Amino acid sequence: MMETDWSKVLEVFGSGIIGVFLVMFLLQILTQLSTRIIDFVENKNKDKTLVSVPQEAVAKEKA
Amino acid sequence: MFDILRELIFTSGFVSLSGGNIIMWMISFVLLYLAIKKQYEPLLLLPIAFGILVVNLPLTFLMDPEHGLIWFFYHYGIELDIIPPLIFLGLGAMIDFGPLIANPKTLLLGAGAQAGLYVTFFAAVLFGFDLQEAGSIAIIGGADGPTTIYLTSKLAPHLLGATAVSAYAYMALVPIIQPPMMKLLTTDAERKIVMTKLRPVSKLQKICFPIVTAMTIMLVVPPAAPLISMLMLGNLFKESGVVERLTNAASNELMNVVTIFLGLSIGATMTAATFLSPKVLFIFFLGLFAFAISTGAGLLMAKFMNLFLKDKINPLIGAAGVSAVPMAARCVHKVGSEANRRNYLLMYAMGPNVAGVIGTVVAAAILLKNLG
Repeated sequence: MMETDWSKVLEVFGSGIIGVFLVMFLLQILTQLSTRIIDFVENKNKDKTLVSVPQEAVAKEKA
Repeated sequence: MFDILRELIFTSGFVSLSGGNIIMWMISFVLLYLAIKKQYEPLLLLPIAFGILVVNLPLTFLMDPEHGLIWFFYHYGIELDIIPPLIFLGLGAMIDFGPLIANPKTLLLGAGAQAGLYVTFFAAVLFGFDLQEAGSIAIIGGADGPTTIYLTSKLAPHLLGATAVSAYAYMALVPIIQPPMMKLLTTDAERKIVMTKLRPVSKLQKICFPIVTAMTIMLVVPPAAPLISMLMLGNLFKESGVVERLTNAASNELMNVVTIFLGLSIGATMTAATFLSPKVLFIFFLGLFAFAISTGAGLLMAKFMNLFLKDKINPLIGAAGVSAVPMAARCVHKVGSEANRRNYLLMYAMGPNVAGVIGTVVAAAILLKNLG
């Protein structure tokens, strides 16, 4: 039977746990960031539409 | 006439039949029973069971390299890593990442559940398995069939049948394995926690998620590329809403076709010579251990997160951090509603559940990087 390389076992164990957490944490940050940017852009567009609609209505009334 | 009859008998499979073959038939019949009568993961267990049966009929040579019919399915589908990524393409086209995008914190629950996988890796080494075998056994804890098959085919192909059957069997047994762990590791008050409403997720956010995720994971852990790229492509098909035909093809026709080849190939690896060994029993035991520990790790992760969160999460949703979509989320919902009838946890649990799929792929890629 082959002798177990315990230093390798510990390396796989440690780097695995830490690695998964780091990747998922990074993904969490990027997901939050991207959704906030999209929220900001979408809200800005919504505001623009809300502002532009009354102006168009006023212009129509004037005409 | 007598000579013809004698030749027929001596060239038939009967003369080459061994006790091991008959035991494998019995195993096949049990799996057929579970698939047909009990409906435990029948889409996979049925072709697996039939694969076991036919490959253990002597002189059929179905798994003969370069000649056997099923060997071609196995070689091109699994050895060359075609089928598991295609299954992920179909899976991506079916998954809704909305609950995860609405509550990205649940990604950490998907990571927490993977801790159990590494504990099992350690345990498997203690039981005498070599590092590659231990990695293949540990991934069972992720409760993700295609990822288990993908990793095992790379690290320890001789264990493929045992790890795949173990993963699918425990996925089917989620409603039996998980509730005792949930009740053991949470208090009644914790199970009653009602979570705050999930925020709405826009279409653009759902479209951006697979792109951001694919880029992030493939840049950080390149060995995850085959699985994660297909998963996210399938999801992009679905969320873009412009390729309905491709979405349907990926989630229905393609998925069904590759499932047949996958099941049959996995079953066909389970010959008496490879399957009937004490090691296989240990694999089933360690697989169960992995699954239970991963469930526990997810629950404890949720409890740990509650120490820092203003809006507490119901720790039960941590148990859905193992993949097994959507069985684990349904199980969380059931246990949660038993504690508090007004608690509707299904959507909250879907977040960590789909995070678990991503987490298992990342964990498998890291194992592959270290052991491959």
